Amino acid sequence: MKEEIRGGRKRLEDELRALLGNIFVPEAKVFGMVCGCVGFAADLRGLKSDDVEVFREKINAILVDISRSVGVKPEFIYARKLPGSDEVVTLTVRELCARCRREFAGSMAAPRPDIMVLKRQG
Amino acid sequence: MRLMIPHPGHFEALKEIIEVKESESLNEVEEVYMGGSPEVMGSGRGVLHAPLLDEIREQTEYAHQHGIKLNIALNSTCTGGSHLSFEGYKLFKWYFDELEKAGVDGIIVAEPYLVELLREYPMKTIVSCLSYVDAPQRARFFEELGADVITVDTNINRHFGLLKGIVDAVNCDVRVIVNEGCLYRCPFRYSHYNLASHLSSLDQPRTPLFAPDFYFDKCINIRLRDPVQIIKSGWIRPEDLKEYESIGISSFKLSGRTKAVNWIINCMRVYSRRSYDGNLLELLDCPQMLRYVFYIDNKKLEGCIEQWKNCNKHCHECGYCDELVGEVMTSLK
Repeated sequence: MKEEIRGGRKRLEDELRALLGNIFVPEAKVFGMVCGCVGFAADLRGLKSDDVEVFREKINAILVDISRSVGVKPEFIYARKLPGSDEVVTLTVRELCARCRREFAGSMAAPRPDIMVLKRQG
Repeated sequence: MRLMIPHPGHFEALKEIIEVKESESLNEVEEVYMGGSPEVMGSGRGVLHAPLLDEIREQTEYAHQHGIKLNIALNSTCTGGSHLSFEGYKLFKWYFDELEKAGVDGIIVAEPYLVELLREYPMKTIVSCLSYVDAPQRARFFEELGADVITVDTNINRHFGLLKGIVDAVNCDVRVIVNEGCLYRCPFRYSHYNLASHLSSLDQPRTPLFAPDFYFDKCINIRLRDPVQIIKSGWIRPEDLKEYESIGISSFKLSGRTKAVNWIINCMRVYSRRSYDGNLLELLDCPQMLRYVFYIDNKKLEGCIEQWKNCNKHCHECGYCDELVGEVMTSLK
């Protein structure tokens, strides 16, 4: 697992750099939440929301691959922006618990204004 | 009953809130509120969105088309005095002018100077709960400054004598927040909101904080160690709204503009229908994370309001809430 997380961080950074130039991924992690959700998250610097819009499919494909490699089902993929700005600071892939499938990912709108939904299953 | 609903700020969320309100005939929902621009002022909550004026105008028009009023929250408790500078005055004057042109219905403020400044505008001046109005005299001060609506300090949500006194003392509308779960008489309250006000504005601390949410962490720790504090908070069950109506309060506000849209919609439904069967912690804006730790059976709280209405808050002599914890609260495995 350690190698997959390390490799995932590197791959995400490399592929985003190939697409967009100087992108920095200082940290990537697999997480488990109290509600039951598990996921893969990467902190980023240098990425903008417009970049994510343009390369949405490619970014999703990379994240789907990485999340599968660490055992996370890519049910809900989203980017978190710095509130009120275009800076994307985290990309997250989440395998949802029943509550979050309904509450966090269940609205037509993004659950919060700082979140860009990139992919939802179903 | 009139309900004011939190709005996270993005247009899609507003559309979804209004769609549910209309499709389910939640006619009590009359107003929504969202944060304003952090470039002008921070607010009592974290800011997840910085709406531009055009966006506020567009959303206000949409809300009006659906018979909903839209209010903007600018309820920072500390600006570091900038509002009292000429530059600050011009900035607020300009922003209020623009919000008025955008058709905004009301401005939620905590700062007394801004309450007074808003007298010049047709928009409603809504005094925030962060003005800590907790007595008839303080309510009258704010009414004289220009308040059209006073949201009382949640610390007095179960002090029915004071609430009735405030209703009797002022002519303006008196509003209570129903789903805030802050510690009763929290020692961190003023410091926490001052910190949040700075962190949600451009007036940031000059050096990095070693504990950016120190007060929140303390608050959660206190309740984990002493769960009775959750019971003592000033939340109001949906079934108990009628008790407030009986003393002349018919305006209720839901807290939670930093939460997910569907959570907000669920709370809107529950309070509109005045009935809820489940874990009360699911409805509380703060401390939301405790819903994963404790289960408070809302139905088992039926009738407790009769005790709280007449409670003198001498907890050291009483023990009612301590006993109640054993009856209504369980730890989740």
